[in-house]
Amino acid sequence: MNPDPYLFLIIFVGVALVFPLAPLALAWLWRRFFQPPKPGQDKNATYECGVEATGEAQVQFRSQYYLYAIIFLIFDVEAIFLVPFAVAFTRLPVGAFIAILVFLLLLIEGLIWAWGKGCLNWAR
Amino acid sequence: MISAPVLEFATVGLGLLLLLIEAFATTLPRRTIAFAGILGLLAVFVATFFVATPPPNGGFWNFYTADPLALFFKRFAIITTILVLLMMIDYAPVVRAFVHGATTEAGVGEFYALPIFTCAGLMWMASAIDFIMIFVSLELVTVSFYVLVGFMRRNAASLEAGVKYLILSAVSTGFLVYGITWIFGVTGETNLARVASAVIAGVDRGPALFGMALVLVALGFKIAAVPFQIWVPDVYQGAPTPVTAFLSVGSKAAGFVVLLRVLAPFFMLPEVQRLLVGIAVLTLIYGNLAALPQNNLKRLLAYSSIAHAGYLLIGVVAFAGNAIAFYLVAYLLMTILSFAVLVVVSQTGGDSIENFDGLSRRSPFLAFAMLIAMASLAGVPFTAGFFGKFFVFDAAIRQHHIALAAIGVITVACGFYYYFKVVRAMYWEAPVANTAIPVSALTRVAMVALMIAIVVLGVYPTPVLNALR
Repeated sequence: MNPDPYLFLIIFVGVALVFPLAPLALAWLWRRFFQPPKPGQDKNATYECGVEATGEAQVQFRSQYYLYAIIFLIFDVEAIFLVPFAVAFTRLPVGAFIAILVFLLLLIEGLIWAWGKGCLNWAR
Repeated sequence: MISAPVLEFATVGLGLLLLLIEAFATTLPRRTIAFAGILGLLAVFVATFFVATPPPNGGFWNFYTADPLALFFKRFAIITTILVLLMMIDYAPVVRAFVHGATTEAGVGEFYALPIFTCAGLMWMASAIDFIMIFVSLELVTVSFYVLVGFMRRNAASLEAGVKYLILSAVSTGFLVYGITWIFGVTGETNLARVASAVIAGVDRGPALFGMALVLVALGFKIAAVPFQIWVPDVYQGAPTPVTAFLSVGSKAAGFVVLLRVLAPFFMLPEVQRLLVGIAVLTLIYGNLAALPQNNLKRLLAYSSIAHAGYLLIGVVAFAGNAIAFYLVAYLLMTILSFAVLVVVSQTGGDSIENFDGLSRRSPFLAFAMLIAMASLAGVPFTAGFFGKFFVFDAAIRQHHIALAAIGVITVACGFYYYFKVVRAMYWEAPVANTAIPVSALTRVAMVALMIAIVVLGVYPTPVLNALR
């Protein structure tokens, strides 16, 4: 009898559940039976990669940061378009080159405008 | 002879140039930017008459067309934008009061530059014959409207309108994209002509209709059809008045062009017809009845804009491109005229109809302009609005949609009541103040031109009717 073609998916789901849950369950059992009940300040502290935690977790970002985030996002997306362009560059016709130049020009125009409007100055 | 896409590139270039001037020439009076924009758009308008006939097909021309319909609506978009810019010059003091800045004119420059980008989006939309192109140009229009609607950021009403428009518009965009994926999934095409041939060749009807219905939701939002009209009154009331005019004319016209193009492949399906008839009836009844009790003129015009979407939808049901084009031109003239009067009058008081009390004694010229606009919106003979409705009903009766035309005629009577409420306030009520209302020479010229156009098209509609042939 052939196994169902989707059987391996079910096995994967099972493994995917067991793999993270098993260590958690083991840790819980270990705590249940062997842990000495001695809570302390250091023991209850938030674990942050071994670095000592400082300050509150609920940090407020200044709203100026928002402008940077938007400008960053635009140029980040630009990179997504530029990478395939650069890879295929030698095989592209002149029209494609001009098209990407227009695209770049539009973004640069945006940067110049943001600069001119003082969006890049932090202290406002 | 120039290639058609040059028009849009020129428009976008103009917008970018104005933004740069705005950012760096800080001492320049902001008004100059508006005038430069108007002159640039006039040049583009002239250029639309020298467009070379496009090559039959292939490459870029699978996405973009320069047929008479596209050219007609490109001109329509440019004229609308020019008139909106003129209105914005009058409205600038109000915007300045609600935009915080270092100088007195801060922020007004973008207010003049953004409509030009919207115009470019509308022009692209008129030419779009591919779902991808439709989506991108629709987004260009919508994103610039997000900014314009919430432009007066120290004004709570404008901000509220901006947020409402942003959220609901984003949802409707989601519907559009989802609908496009269903249609693409069934037909394997995004080009409208090829979608049409795939539908004729026979595809799975269910998914295609489902996709079409989702696209209809998104376009229904753009044209303010019931039941996607909830945003209209609040956004129209809160947005800066010239932007409201732009939304109600530009956004709606573009929605109808896209509707005509998108519906073409699906129009022979009886389900789509029935759906459209249903939406048209609901829109007609809701728009006209809800407009009756309004006291705020901006809100009244918002409901009237819903009602006019209903009349235009009758034209869509009859698939009469010429009638829709004529109606939109008439709608452009009368809506812009009434908003232009509103911009001037509201600066002396507010947006309520009470602020129009006795306007005929304070400014006979403005009162007369409003009279013409209201008469045309109501559909009085010898105005453009009358022929607009006449052609739409005529087309419906020819297609044997008698009931639909009858509902249309009944709701027109409803319209007479609320439009003439404004006229009554202007001519029969005692004036709220005795001060005369100043009108700048430029606005006066624009208003006179609009009035003449309304009356001329109400007597001799042939030129616009022939424009699409």
